[in-house]
Parts: sequence; C-alpha cells; structure tokens
Amino acid sequence: MTGPLLEFRPEQAKPLLQEVMERSGQMLTACYQCRRCAAGCTVADETGFFTPNILIRTVILGDRETALSNPLVWKCVSCYTCGTRCPNDIQTARITETLKKMAKEAHIAPLQPKVAAFHDSFLESGLRWGRVNEMEFMGVYEMKNIIREARARNYEAIVDELKTQAKLGMAMFRLKRMHAGFMTTKGRKEIKALYRKTRKKPGVSPRVNP
Amino acid sequence: MEIAYYPGCSLKQSSALYDIQSRRIFSELGVELKEIEDWNCCGATSAGKVDDFLAVAMPARNIGIAEAAGYREIVIPCSACYSRTLVAQQRLEGDARLKAEINGAFAKKMNGGLKISSILEVLLGRIAAGALEPKLKRKFRRLKPVCYYGCMQTRFPFTVPVPDDVENPQGMETVLGALGVKAIDWSHKTFCCGASAAVNDPETSLNLMGKIMKDALLRGANCFVATCPMCQLNLDAHQDAFCRRSGIEERLPVFFITEVVGAAMGISPEALQVDRHFIDGTTLLKELEGDER
Repeated sequence: MTGPLLEFRPEQAKPLLQEVMERSGQMLTACYQCRRCAAGCTVADETGFFTPNILIRTVILGDRETALSNPLVWKCVSCYTCGTRCPNDIQTARITETLKKMAKEAHIAPLQPKVAAFHDSFLESGLRWGRVNEMEFMGVYEMKNIIREARARNYEAIVDELKTQAKLGMAMFRLKRMHAGFMTTKGRKEIKALYRKTRKKPGVSPRVNP
Repeated sequence: MEIAYYPGCSLKQSSALYDIQSRRIFSELGVELKEIEDWNCCGATSAGKVDDFLAVAMPARNIGIAEAAGYREIVIPCSACYSRTLVAQQRLEGDARLKAEINGAFAKKMNGGLKISSILEVLLGRIAAGALEPKLKRKFRRLKPVCYYGCMQTRFPFTVPVPDDVENPQGMETVLGALGVKAIDWSHKTFCCGASAAVNDPETSLNLMGKIMKDALLRGANCFVATCPMCQLNLDAHQDAFCRRSGIEERLPVFFITEVVGAAMGISPEALQVDRHFIDGTTLLKELEGDER
C-alpha cells in the first residue's frame, strides 16, 4: 500500500490552508500525523487508503487540485469517527464537507457525481416544500442522474440505475413503506425568505462561521 | 406527562411504522408525544454538505416552534434529525448574532433551554421512573440481539454534550436489560452503514453493511435492534444485496427498539406493524411469544 503522490505548491499553500481552516473551523496545523483517523476511517478500504491524515497533508502542502478532487472527499460518509478519535480535535468530516462546497464553487466535476446530486436534490426538496417528500426527491435526484448520463451518452448506466431503483421501489410499495400523500410546511416561506436575505449580502456567501 | 415530538420526514413516510410504535409505547409508559405544529425538514446530513447556513437555520425554526408552544423537552427518534437539531442548538448558543438574525426571520422565536432528547434518553427516563416494569408481559429468553447505534446517536460534527459513551454506548443495552433481554456485545455498534450512500454510492454502503452483518453473525446474534430509521431501512432493505455480495447465507431481522419494547409489553407484532419489514421479523417475535415472565 503506497500513498498518493502529493505536490508541494508553496504559492498555494497559505491561501488554501487558510480558506479550509476558516470555512471548516478545523485547526489543520495541529495534525501531527498520528494516523488514529486513518485507523478508524470507515471508508479507508473504499478510498484506496486516501485517509483523513493524507487529506490534511494535501491541504497543508497546497495541492489544491488533489484536495478538491480525491476519493475521500467524495466517499466520506460523515460518520465522524476520525474526528471523535483525533487527539487534537480535528474533525476531518467537516473538512471533506468544506472541500465539497469549494469544489462546487470552483466548478470542478465531482468524482462521485451521484453523491453531489443526492445532497443537492435533498436540500432543494426540503427547501422547496418544507419537508422532504421521498418520492419527489428521488424523482428529482434520478432526473439529475439521467440528464448527466444522457449527456455522456451513457445509456446503459441509466437503465441499470432505473432497474435498481424500480426494484427497491416496488418492494417498498408492497410493504407499504411508500407514502402516497404529499407533505408541505407553511413556514417554508420564512426559511426561504431568510435564505434569500443572507445570500444577497454583498460579498458574503451564505456561510456560518464555525 | 406531555413532551414535544419531532417525527421528521422519514417517520411520516418510509418509516411510518416507527412513528406509530413510538406513540403507542410512550402512551403506555405515560408519556403523550405532542407533534409540534408545522415543523420543517431538519436538512439532515445533506445540509451540512451543501450549505452551512441552512444546516443551522432549518432545525432552528423547529426549536423555536417547540419553545413557543411552552415545551421544556422535545424527543426526536430519528438519529439524523436528533443530531442536526442538537448541533444547531449548540451552535446558536455560542453565536448571539446568528441567533438574533434567525430569530428575526421566524414567527416562533427561540429563547433557549429546550432539552433535545433521543428516544433512548426518554425511554431510560421512564424506566428509571419505574413506568416500564408493571407493563411487562413477556420475557424473551431466546432473543439474542446486537444493538446497532450507527453514527449519529453518539458522534457529532461539533462539540455537544453526548448522553452516552461515544465508542461503546450502553443506552439500548440498558433498555433491553430492563426487559430481561441480554444484548450481545460486539464491535460494530457504532460502525457506519453508509446512510445515504446506499442510494448514491451503493458499492461503498454494501461493503460497510457486509462488515456489520459478518460481526453480528460471528457473535451469534439472531437480530439487530436499532433506533435510527435510516440504519433500520438500510440494513433491512439492502440485506439481500449486501449478503449476496459478501457471500452470507443467513438473514437477520432488524428491529426498532420500539418493536422489542412493545412486544415485551404484550403488543402483537401486527399491531406494531412489524410485517412492514423487508426481512421477516414477525416469525421470530411469534416464536418468542411463548416465553412468559
């Protein structure tokens, strides 16, 4: 098992580190590479051992390209094991969450486009209706996948995905675990109005200081 | 006794059985769950990955509704909703400006002081108060459960007061112990099932669930007990898929904690709607019905 080759980019190191530290609220410089996070990482087997400590090193070295596009950022399941075990209280899951947002802002195609489509669709659905209607949300999510795969002329992937989801959907329907009604929250207007207001502040993206 | 209740989207849809069971069990234990009015989605883990502001603002509105209605405590059975709401409250406590900004936009304001409880905390409170003991009708001697907590009951992205041990929680074991059931110790009780990865990255999720299943079988378990609707649905709905992938023959029912508590109180599996599981759990509960106290 060998680690990935990281590039040292002195000119990028400081601004990248600063941005990630500020937005994630994590003291990356406190990492002394003890690898407790790596030992506990739930998805280490899935990321080719691109473990949290390597991600932190990537950011510190200023390798922006690798930091915004690597298996851990897109495979991280936000189980928070790395963070609860870190002797220096670095919650790497919040770093992966930050890097996902930064990748989106930089228009970098996600390594796992379905992961990005899922979280976008979920939040959109919750905001649109006030509650997430599972069927509507899954419909929007699958449409995003279909459009993306169709653009890449990847028709086989579309058929496979629809087959899998239809099978699960039928089983859920049989067990009465599919909900027919449609839920809305009246107060969603309050949230939408607040959200619009925070986004309109000049020069401030809707982010919360940790 | 009345406490505020936030069911969340999943307990109103795919895990509606959990909603029905929770209301029933708590009513038997002398707690009326009062669903807060016009609640909204908490944003779940997705909000944290897409928009930090919404991750706080969405649960904040629900906290305000519960507080404005005069409740001192709210129970949130879904682990994701519980975690996000608790984290949002904690972040607002430390950020007066953000709290004022959010309060300014919502009709029902937050004052602070609402206790946000998981289903286990409320259950343990009722057990300590002696409300469970007189209700018990059965003692399941042949139930060999492993308690599955998943991630979000004890691990949080921000520093919050955690009600149980982070790595080796005991809340569910204590509840089962009060029923006379001895849970089996194992090492995957807080290992992640993949959560939404079951939909958007099945390869990862199926591998993770295969590991959970292998450990449960190795320890000799005959069922899982869970509190999180996402964990329950994942381990239940995808069990055939991850077992086939990992070469496992056996199948294990995945019970909600409310199902085991309810069954011990003598409520039939049908009334608890256990027949809405993917992996049959009714047979095991029926077999055990002969176990008298």
